Amino acid sequence: MADENVAPESAVESAGALVEAGPVSLWLTEQGFAHEIMERDHLGTELLRVEPAFLIPFCTALYAYGFNYLQCQGAYDAGPGQPLVSFYHLLKLSDNADQPEEVRIKVYIPRDNPKVPSVYWIWKAADWQERESYDMYGIIYEGHPNLKRLLMPEDWVGWPMRKDYISPDFYELQDAY
Amino acid sequence: MVMKSPSGNSLIGDNERVMNPAAPPAVTQELSENVILTTVDDIYNWTRLSSLFPLLYGTACCFIEFAALLGSRFDFDRFGLAPRSSPRQADLLITAGTVTMKMAPALVRLYEQMPEPKYVIAMGACTITGGMFSVDSPSAVRGVDKLIPVDVYIPGCPPRPEAIFDAVIKLRKKVANESMRERGILEQTHRYYTRAHKMEAVAPILTGNYIRSATRAAPSKELMQSMGMPVTLPEAEKAAQPEETNNG
Repeated sequence: MADENVAPESAVESAGALVEAGPVSLWLTEQGFAHEIMERDHLGTELLRVEPAFLIPFCTALYAYGFNYLQCQGAYDAGPGQPLVSFYHLLKLSDNADQPEEVRIKVYIPRDNPKVPSVYWIWKAADWQERESYDMYGIIYEGHPNLKRLLMPEDWVGWPMRKDYISPDFYELQDAY
Repeated sequence: MVMKSPSGNSLIGDNERVMNPAAPPAVTQELSENVILTTVDDIYNWTRLSSLFPLLYGTACCFIEFAALLGSRFDFDRFGLAPRSSPRQADLLITAGTVTMKMAPALVRLYEQMPEPKYVIAMGACTITGGMFSVDSPSAVRGVDKLIPVDVYIPGCPPRPEAIFDAVIKLRKKVANESMRERGILEQTHRYYTRAHKMEAVAPILTGNYIRSATRAAPSKELMQSMGMPVTLPEAEKAAQPEETNNG
C-alpha cells in the first residue's frame, strides 16, 4: 500500500532534473546552512549532503530543530577510487509518535584523508556506531572520546570493509584457489 | 517388614533379614559368578568414557543445537555428559560456532586450561573449514584444527543434535581403544599451527574506565573551537543545575 502511494511520486522526481526540497531542507536553507539536496530514497525520506567541515553546525541546527534521536549511523565505501560515505539517520522522537519526521544526512569523505567531526557530543548514540565505522572503513571521527576498534582485534592492520582491502593470508584459503 | 522364619524351613537363615520378599531369593553365593575379570585399561577407559564433561562453549548458531542436548528431549546426561562452565573441570571441548581471529587466543587458552586427557569435537562447517566464511572473510579462522588438535569432526550447518550424539559415540569408541601404555606416545609435542607473521602486539584497549574516562567529560578544546559555539546538551545543563542548588 505504502509503496503504491510513493512509487508515482518518486518516478516524477527521478524524471525531473531537480529534486524538490523538503521541509527540513527548506528550513535549513532559510537559516543559511548550505547543503546539497539528494534524490529521496524509496520511502520518500529526505536526503541531504553536507561537506565534512560544516557537519557539526549543521547537526547542531538539526538538533535544535527537534531531531533528538540518531536512529542509525553508518558508513560505506562508494566504490573503487570513490570517496567514503558516513551517513546519519535522524528522527524526531516524541511521546506517542506515529509517523515521526525523518531525515538522512550524508557526508562524503576523501579516501586519502578520511576525517570527519564526531557527532557524539550532540547524540550520544553515535558512540559505538562511529567506532564501528572507524573500525571497518578507517574514517577518523575527530572529537570522539574513545575512537578504538570495536569488532576487529585491537592489533588489526587495515580497514576490512573498504573495497580495496585485501584479506591477509593468515591461513591457507582452502577452497579459494 | 522383617520376616523371620525357623531354620531349615526356608532359604533364609536365622541371621538373615529380607525386606518384602516377592519370591525366594535366588542370588547365588558362588564366588566365581560375582567376579569380573578385566584389564586396567578397560576399566579405566570405561570410567572415562562414561563421564565426558563437555565445556559450555558456544560462539554461534551451532550452540543452539548443542543447547538442545542439555534439555530433556535429547537429554545427553544419559551418556554421562555433564556440562561444565569451567575449563578446569572439563575434558571435552565441542567448538560450537564460528571462531574468529579475535576469538582464537581465547579458544587456545581455554583448551590449554583443560586437564589431560582432553578431547575436541569440531562441530559444524565453520569449525571444520570456515564454512560459509571460508572464501572472503578477513577474520574467520579456517577450521579450528589450525589452532587445536581435533578428534571428531561433525559436518552440518548446524548439525542436528543426533549428529552430536553420533560424534560423542564415536569419541567414546576412541576413548575405549586407548591404552595406558601408549600414554607417552599419545602426548603431543607440537599442538598449535604456527606461522610467521608481521603483526605487532598492542596494549589492550579495554582499560576498565570506559564511561569514566576523562575524554567523555567534555569535548576537546579544538572541537569546541571548530564548532564556533559550545555544544551544551540539555542533559548536561540539567545535571549541572541541581548540583548547584543542592550545594546552596
